[in-house]
Amino acid sequence: MSEEREIKEEQLRAVRTGHGANCSSIGSVINTLFATATVGAAVFAAVVAALKREQVKVAGKDRT
Amino acid sequence: MIVRYESWGAWVKLETQAAIVALDRDGVRALGLDGGRAWDGESTRESAPIEVHMAVTARCGAGCEGCYIDARPDGIEPPREALERELDALADAGVFTVAFGGGEPTTRDDLDVLAEAAMARGITPVLTTSGLGLTDARVEKLRRFAQVNVSYDGPGETYAMVRGFDASAAAERAIERLAAAGIRVGANVVLTRASFPRLDETLARAKSLGACEAQLLRYKPAGRAASIEYLARRLSSEQARSLGPTLRRLATTVCAAGDFNVRIDCALVPFLSADETIAKDPDALARWGIFGCEAAGALAAFTVDGRVAPCSFARSSGLHATSLGSHAGDPELARWRAHVAAPPEPCASCSLRAVCKGGCKVVASFVKGVHGPDPECPRVVAAAGERAA
Repeated sequence: MSEEREIKEEQLRAVRTGHGANCSSIGSVINTLFATATVGAAVFAAVVAALKREQVKVAGKDRT
Repeated sequence: MIVRYESWGAWVKLETQAAIVALDRDGVRALGLDGGRAWDGESTRESAPIEVHMAVTARCGAGCEGCYIDARPDGIEPPREALERELDALADAGVFTVAFGGGEPTTRDDLDVLAEAAMARGITPVLTTSGLGLTDARVEKLRRFAQVNVSYDGPGETYAMVRGFDASAAAERAIERLAAAGIRVGANVVLTRASFPRLDETLARAKSLGACEAQLLRYKPAGRAASIEYLARRLSSEQARSLGPTLRRLATTVCAAGDFNVRIDCALVPFLSADETIAKDPDALARWGIFGCEAAGALAAFTVDGRVAPCSFARSSGLHATSLGSHAGDPELARWRAHVAAPPEPCASCSLRAVCKGGCKVVASFVKGVHGPDPECPRVVAAAGERAA
């Protein structure tokens, strides 16, 4: 595992959870909007943890 | 994770969990990266879509009354090689997710190959199906998809009131089969005046069959649904206004255990303007990555004849799908983005503007004949004073 990165929660502008699988219009998970602060914080904490650990690849024309 | 640079930072698709994250520049730097050309000066390069809806066939025998592409049993079906070239274009543009649809995509016998082809390019494949004729053999071909959604508007007559025939049992069997096979399965629920009152029952049923998610879809006047019947089938003003409280209730019932999510589609976002609590806190919507009209923005559609459209319901542009990288120069796509950038009132002063992006232009074009504010948005209705409950 690489050294942990210093990712901070305030650097996350938005988190879209789930894959969604609709082929006609774009969807967004909405029940998280009504979740308790504890549940919301847990989601963001899990995302930050993944950002600290996952291997990085760059997509598109800039891809590596 | 897969990072795609944007002028404001980067979109990041995580690989150990199902999430896409918008990370600011400092966050991207913390990953040890630099946005390079995307961050040069006041870069305003148009962002490519992060999700593309790809029609892989126009063939479908279901005959749903409201089919948005007017799919038929003898619809055309592009060869796999053509679709693989389109997937190449998605990879070049840095698209994260491709949703295969149609027509009925499971009429193809190469979906497993197409899913592999997407994954090989770093793109997450998902799929929508009616579930009709979904045999165990066909289920096996869907194992590589990150999620499969089955069209399921409700049990029995509720389904029939939306689609014109009752195939709810087949859809229910499909959800069960997919779940039993260990494939993540969701339900696509079209909200009409008739299906909306039974939403709680529909979602509870879908969950009991093994669905992990429901995506609520606004009924849209495209394809066979672009008829006078649309006006009778669309949600009533009162139903539209009650979307916020309805979602709040679902969050505490069917979603309460944490094993079931509810999604809303882009076209439902304007209805949230009637909910005082939500309208007062647009930052919360933005933080949870709620997307309103992202047509020609974060979303694009590839039509079955290989053209780029702002979304699946919109007329296609002149741009060929394999030229997605040139999307910024296409005048039709640019027209959609320009409207979002500078919407007229009452959208211009709406607290939800940055998220909603003016509501559904497909509805506006059909109902009002103009590419303008969504005429069914409660705020637009109030401003115009034109629609009674």
